[in-house]
Amino acid sequence: MKKENNHNGLMLEEPYPESPRYPRHVEVVMKGNYAAAEAARLCRVGFIPAYPITPQTTIVERLSELVAEGKLEATYINMDSEHSVFAAAMGAAIGGERVFTATAGQGLFYAHEVLQAISHFRLPMVMCNVGRPSIPWNIWSDQSDSLSQRDTGWIQFYGESSQEVLDTIIQAYVLTEKTRIPAMVVLDAFYQSHTSENVWLPDQNLVDRFLPPIQPGEMSIDLKKPKSFGGLLPPEHYNRMNYSFWETMNQVEALAEEIATDFGAHFGRPYSNVEAVNIGPKTRLVLVTISSITSTARGVIRDYPEVGLLKLRLFRPFPREAVQRALAPLSKDAVIAIVERNFLGDNEGAIMQEMKRALYGSNYKMYGFFAGVGGKDVPPVTIEKIIHRAFHRPEEVNWVDVG
Amino acid sequence: MLEIRGHARGGQGMVTAFEILAKIFSKLGNFQVQAFPAFGVERTGAPIQAFLRVAKKEILNRSNIYHPHLIVVFDESLIEQVPVFDGLQENGAVLINTERPETDFSAPGRTAYTVQATRLSLELGLGSKSLPIVNAAMIGALARIFEVSLDIVLAAIKENVPAKPEANMEAAARALRAVSGANGRNQFLIGSLHAQPARATKTIESLAFDIPAEINGLETPSWSDPMSKNKTGNWRLITPSYEERPAPCNTSCPAGTDVRGFVRLVSEKKFGQAYELISRYNPFPSVCGRVCPNFCEQNCNRNELDRGLNIGAIERFLGDQAAEEQVKPAPKRHKEQIAIIGSGPAGLTAALRLCEKGYETTVFEALPQAGGMMRTGIPRFRLPDEVLDREIRRIEARGVKIKLSKKVAAEELAGRFDAVIAATGSHIGSPMRIEGEEFARDGINFLREFKLDHDADGLHRGQEVAIVGGGNTAIDVARTVLRLGARPTIYYRRTIREMPAIPQEVKEALLEGVKIEFLSAPVALAPAGPTKVALTLTEMQLGEPDESGRRRPVPVAGSERTILVDRVIKAIGQRSDLFALGEKPVDPKQGYIELESGASVFCAGDMAWGGTVAEAIGSGNKVAEEVHAFLRGKPYREAESLPEVVLPKDINYTYYLPMARHYNKLHHPRRLDGDFSEVSRGMDETEVVAETARCLHCGECFNCGNCYNFCPDAAIHVDEEGRLRIDYDYCKGCGICVQECPCSAMQFQLTEAVS
Amino acid sequence: MKPALEFLIKDEKVYSGALSCRGCGWSLLVRHLASLLGEDTVYVAPASCFSIISGPFPLRELKANLVHTVFAAAPATATGVRAALDRQGKKDTTVVILAGDGGTFDIGLQALSGAAARNENLLYIVNNNGAYMNTGIQTSTATPYGAVTTTNPGSGFKRAWPKDLMGIVAAHNMPYAATASLAFLEDLRTKVERAKNTRGFRLLMIDGPCPPGHKADPAQSIQIGRLAVETRLFPLFEVERQHYTINYRPEKNIPVEECLKLQGRFKQLFKPENRYMIEEVQAHTDQYWVRLEAMEGL
Repeated sequence: MKKENNHNGLMLEEPYPESPRYPRHVEVVMKGNYAAAEAARLCRVGFIPAYPITPQTTIVERLSELVAEGKLEATYINMDSEHSVFAAAMGAAIGGERVFTATAGQGLFYAHEVLQAISHFRLPMVMCNVGRPSIPWNIWSDQSDSLSQRDTGWIQFYGESSQEVLDTIIQAYVLTEKTRIPAMVVLDAFYQSHTSENVWLPDQNLVDRFLPPIQPGEMSIDLKKPKSFGGLLPPEHYNRMNYSFWETMNQVEALAEEIATDFGAHFGRPYSNVEAVNIGPKTRLVLVTISSITSTARGVIRDYPEVGLLKLRLFRPFPREAVQRALAPLSKDAVIAIVERNFLGDNEGAIMQEMKRALYGSNYKMYGFFAGVGGKDVPPVTIEKIIHRAFHRPEEVNWVDVG
Repeated sequence: MLEIRGHARGGQGMVTAFEILAKIFSKLGNFQVQAFPAFGVERTGAPIQAFLRVAKKEILNRSNIYHPHLIVVFDESLIEQVPVFDGLQENGAVLINTERPETDFSAPGRTAYTVQATRLSLELGLGSKSLPIVNAAMIGALARIFEVSLDIVLAAIKENVPAKPEANMEAAARALRAVSGANGRNQFLIGSLHAQPARATKTIESLAFDIPAEINGLETPSWSDPMSKNKTGNWRLITPSYEERPAPCNTSCPAGTDVRGFVRLVSEKKFGQAYELISRYNPFPSVCGRVCPNFCEQNCNRNELDRGLNIGAIERFLGDQAAEEQVKPAPKRHKEQIAIIGSGPAGLTAALRLCEKGYETTVFEALPQAGGMMRTGIPRFRLPDEVLDREIRRIEARGVKIKLSKKVAAEELAGRFDAVIAATGSHIGSPMRIEGEEFARDGINFLREFKLDHDADGLHRGQEVAIVGGGNTAIDVARTVLRLGARPTIYYRRTIREMPAIPQEVKEALLEGVKIEFLSAPVALAPAGPTKVALTLTEMQLGEPDESGRRRPVPVAGSERTILVDRVIKAIGQRSDLFALGEKPVDPKQGYIELESGASVFCAGDMAWGGTVAEAIGSGNKVAEEVHAFLRGKPYREAESLPEVVLPKDINYTYYLPMARHYNKLHHPRRLDGDFSEVSRGMDETEVVAETARCLHCGECFNCGNCYNFCPDAAIHVDEEGRLRIDYDYCKGCGICVQECPCSAMQFQLTEAVS
Repeated sequence: MKPALEFLIKDEKVYSGALSCRGCGWSLLVRHLASLLGEDTVYVAPASCFSIISGPFPLRELKANLVHTVFAAAPATATGVRAALDRQGKKDTTVVILAGDGGTFDIGLQALSGAAARNENLLYIVNNNGAYMNTGIQTSTATPYGAVTTTNPGSGFKRAWPKDLMGIVAAHNMPYAATASLAFLEDLRTKVERAKNTRGFRLLMIDGPCPPGHKADPAQSIQIGRLAVETRLFPLFEVERQHYTINYRPEKNIPVEECLKLQGRFKQLFKPENRYMIEEVQAHTDQYWVRLEAMEGL
């Protein structure tokens, strides 16, 4: 891929006018990948193991620059693979550092083994994944990479915009350091990663007050109190350790919501784990989306008063209670149409599987729509096709715009 | 359904055994089988479990076996470590690999079988002593219990055991025959094999379990407890230990000297202590250091590497440097008086030992000077008089009385003394038994007369002297003759290799100009003219070895020749002078003998056995013990046999570098005429101490650190007293310490050492 | 060789009770390493026998910190640990990777190469016992020619030559690499000290005894190691940057079979039809020595 270098003139150059919209913010136009990098800077991350992969590359490039320019005081190391990236991340996290990294597609698949180790080590860290699929080579937007890693024990957020990616990374650090469960913030290839848009960058002070310095945990090296980390754990102990992990994971949904609310109070931009748009007794159809397709769907439904939208921002743990609450006002006849930009080898896409799980026992009409798999564009008309199809001869699972 | 649980150590082959058993059962009567191990993290030697289910119908249980019908214990020592018998069914059975009888393991409601599988397997070379592989034997034993025919077992082993199939089959066959307690007590097991699992119809309500209110979650597992909570010592099958073994220098010293001990003390420059240690065994270190053939050095394990230690020089140094004035008389503790006939090394040693034990001891010497053969048989250039005098003076200073020029017989003394020791030596030359023998002088006699009376037998410069023999006497005579200006030639019937003389002495003699003709034996002597003697010699060749192990010399027919010489001196051996034992010939042997007169006499020294100063000293030590026991009315027993001596095969030569031996300085004057000064001048302190660094420390720990440094299990430590200790809580019995011990100061035992 | 004539380990930095087999090289190696490196050390271990040996929950063999990590990326985890410590000003804390030959020659080679090329300030210890012993003696690319493992389809023993790891490592132009043997403890300890006192990426390859894997008598672990050096099967040398120094030149020309015959894994080479392979091993060994000497002369 051609090296990109087109952030000139849009980056923070002092003095920059304070944004009229959010106090103590500056408004810039930047790509999603740079927003992710700026978020890492604002979170004062200490260790960045890096390995390039399209379309993540500009995140690590920008971080490299930030470190080189002295804007971020972090140790930045070019590793030999994503496997090594995450293995290094693990080491530094055990060492007690705030760790950030980013990857995409193949890199995430390659790191799978280490993802499991990091989460089961209960190590706090945040990483950005820029979604893309696998071989045959494809570098375009698709969530099959991160969704296939939904069972690795990582918290997963999906961001709709560059702003949301930036804000979510900040929230994710608070969450990961409280729960000691690693968090993944996912953004779409190109439609976010390489899309320049308006981003409000908070002041460092603002972030510092929201995100205190990282504290060492039980799984941190203490040279004065040496111990082993991760030796053989016999079945009964592994069992109990996973029980504890499970207990904590069960608290994440509520905690994430709380942090998102606090974030709103602090920064002026409130978030929630799920977002319900136009979901009421009169809503006849609800689109369920994650990531950037959400924005397109928002646009479409403005024209369709009968159509609502459920955006999933937290995906792991799946916000079951929030989904149930959000859909509660719906009438019995309402249809739920789920937009899936992932194909994981089974009939249903990942989101539909999770929605069914969340709505077990409720008799919603639920249809799945594969749209935009492999980065195929999902324009508004595709959304309209989904709406149409959901009312006329829908299969349980449908492919839209194929061919 | 039959359920069997096995307990073994990792590496003993239990999992394979259970798999083979499963195959055997599946072939017999079409059983459904299930064999599996409980995998753990255990390593070779650590306790493991395996399970076997056999049933007539499909086995609907894939969990571990908690209530077996039969428990098989592959290693008896596990019983102490693991609750092997837990959960055994009522009337169930146990099969144990043990040497003990089955009755040791049976209990009410528990049938026991035993088999000596370890012994069997080791006999057949299966596994090693640190880990016998007993699986085939255990299969055989189980086959016997279940009445499986041997053919089926052997076929299964042949098919499934890749290594040593023959030995494994043999092990199974032997074990099958050797199971103890196997007769007609298997109804319960056979019944279980055929029984269907009991079925019942249960309701959900009938279930009753406690549901815990709270699960004890493990928030963050912490690997912070010391590993030492894991006692790996219970993996051990063979046990290393520090066990001192005798060194060959010690065991080969006829006087019993702790050679290794004094060498170590010298290496630490503790000369006084070293002397004290020697004198416990040998009151004549200065003498022995000069004249002993050094059995210690000959048997020194260092000969395997380069050359034995120059122990004689060290001994001589210690004897010479010892201060004379410190000697104090030994206190008297007993009223008994002891007479000793003969003031040679045996007599004086015996006298000294008894004196030290608190007896009044009197030595009677026929000659005007004390010392026996040391005085009469060893020339001054090897043993100066003053050296001998000094050591005898020390003995006298301890309280031994010596009466010179008193030739007495034992019977004369019997009434006056409570015990008499005869140690009159071997001062009579042996005959050659050839024609004209009377024209030869006796060598031992020649030496004695020359030493005591300066009687050179009229020898003078330029005369040719033929000396017959190959021992030290022959050499000493030759060198004396040389110093008198005459020209000695030694005729010896074998080669230099068989020569009994001390090699160093032979070497020096040759260096000084003594000629030796080997493979030459005298046939006849005759007078030739007024002063000359005609000596007829024959050439010899070496035949088959004789009882001494040396090759027997055989005359070469027709090789005779006659030479004319001024003097022939024979030195082919000595025999005992038994004047002290009365008129009637007796066979003197070491220790107590009863004379015809009824007098109790103890014999010692050359007349009893041996032929060297060291042997005589040893003999004196021994006889003193016997006399002491006799006088105290106690039975006398020779010292019990010691542990095995350290031989070259026991030494790990890797840890020793070749080091040049230190030699005595020799004094060889240009002109020997009339020069009877000592040839060997010994070694100085520096050389002596340097020489001790060559000691291999056979059988005695010298803190080399190997066992500690090489222990993989950190199971060896140094205690407060600086001594090495094995921590048997952790020692796995790998054996590296024993293998890498340079000097065989560590041994392996199959039996358990007490920690 | 002379015995040390001293108790080399003054302060034991491991606990007894480790889960190593009898005569295992790992435990002995770690005893010496730990005593020299002290407690201001963080160890990082990929999958290997040592993962088990060093303690199942809740135990630990080492008295210093130990981080267990994934098989393929110990140098990467160590890189992270190093970075964290450096950031916290603990630049003198030693970070040590303890890996087996599988984790080094095979699955971990990429991560090793990466760390070496970055010249990370890490000490990499590879205990080369010539197979995947933890999983039960499977062939690795360190397995010697002619050795039996459980994964050699066809002949039942390996018919390929092991990788020249030291050559690969040397090619990274790193500050210090050396081979060492547990039979030559003073040499080994000197090298550990040197490695400890060198900054940058350092690697020590140890000839690791494994009695079950080598089918050898545990008591002979050291003896076999010594013969490996004496026969030149395992030469002792150092590589600084790319300069080679041979540390020990055997005085006697002991044939390789003296070492091979003590190990059951080479038993089949002594069959008449396979004896030519011993000659091949000898030739290969001699050639390697010639090459080493040539490299030393450069």
